[in-house]
Amino acid sequence: MRCSIIPPYLLDRLAASDSQGHQKAAEAARGSLHLESALDFRAIRADEQVARRGLLAPVPEPGAFTERELQGPQRTIYTANNTEDLPGDVVREENGVASGDPAIDEAYEGLGSTHELFREVYARASIDDSNLPLLGTVHFGVDYDNAFWDGERMVFGDGDDEIFVRMTASLSVIGHELTHGVTQFSAGLKYEGQAGALNESVSDVFGVLVEQYVKGESVDQATWLIGAGLFTDAVQGDALRSLKAPGTAYDDDVLGKDPQPSTMSGYVETTEDYGGVHLNSGIPNHAFYLAAVEIGGNAWEKAGLVWYDTITGGALAPDSDFSDFATATVGAAAARYGGESPERAAVLAAWDAVGIAVRP
Amino acid sequence: MKVSVTRSGGLAGLSRTWVVNVDEQPDPEAWRSLVSGLPWDSRAPSPRHPDRYVYSIRWSRYRMVLSEADLGQWKTLVDRVREKGEPEQGQA
Repeated sequence: MRCSIIPPYLLDRLAASDSQGHQKAAEAARGSLHLESALDFRAIRADEQVARRGLLAPVPEPGAFTERELQGPQRTIYTANNTEDLPGDVVREENGVASGDPAIDEAYEGLGSTHELFREVYARASIDDSNLPLLGTVHFGVDYDNAFWDGERMVFGDGDDEIFVRMTASLSVIGHELTHGVTQFSAGLKYEGQAGALNESVSDVFGVLVEQYVKGESVDQATWLIGAGLFTDAVQGDALRSLKAPGTAYDDDVLGKDPQPSTMSGYVETTEDYGGVHLNSGIPNHAFYLAAVEIGGNAWEKAGLVWYDTITGGALAPDSDFSDFATATVGAAAARYGGESPERAAVLAAWDAVGIAVRP
Repeated sequence: MKVSVTRSGGLAGLSRTWVVNVDEQPDPEAWRSLVSGLPWDSRAPSPRHPDRYVYSIRWSRYRMVLSEADLGQWKTLVDRVREKGEPEQGQA
């Protein structure tokens, strides 16, 4: 399977666009085309590779890919100019100067920070672990109160300035959206029911971890909030969600009260939002918080690594439920730190505390 | 005759509903024409889009659930209900 964040037609167009003043984009696009060729080659079955060795360049030694695979980010930020047409116009490329537009520059910096967490802490090369370029579009729609991952890019609205300000104002939200891409290329959790709530939770977990990593906050210092600072002053609330205390992020006359449960006793059965994926994510979110606090120190180091091992370790099916995921995290903690380790015990206790069974 | 639109999901997971009582609108015939001209019996596309809004559109015994990304010809109705409709349950 060929997985590319940039449609091939766009790469072709950019690669041919030197004359229009897009040298950097053209270079980046040609680089991506070459990378895609390399990926295609790597995807060819081993026996065919053997057959082709005489025709193509020699297959690199196993370690040879490592340097190339942990490249820096290749970011391109676009503006939709307040339309809903994607991708929009390029406004900032890798190594380009700051634009002065907060939405553009926050998206650029936020994608860089998230890329850095995955690269420096988990040795992951971008979203797909093969140095996929990072694409973001800002100024999507008019007064658009949302941000999303569309399978190829992160998209951010400006907010309506009544309830929400611009979505790029929160680094945890940028990390959340990029992590949807990581999940798509790793565990591939379906966006529905418990698998969907897990998909959401994984995005929240690495969303808060990006903020903690950048700020250097330990488990005791962190806010554990998703989307702090996104509400206008008119809203009574701190953030969209809290991993520390799901259900307490806001309590507002207009929006109502944060409806997230923190344990299975509050599990919400609903047909809305693909089965309440943004509600029931509170339960695995809280389990991560409990495990991280029990382990102590910096959450991205041990607890984050266990969760990262879980989504990339191959133990999860796309339709995994909470119990499948919990069982996989305990297995990942045992593999990383040992079957009798305090880390494994902390993860096990966290799932028990939120009412999710771990299978033996 | 009532038409309702419930928007759920989105990054924030906030749910909002708007309802239009078509008979109380100044142009009820235009509303009836718009609503009855839509393919209520068709199958909704199945792709899921992380953090995009999900729209549940109801009229009479019909219900259509669509991602914001797949609204297509339903967008006119959704926009009009959001514009003209009454927010339900004291929501914004």
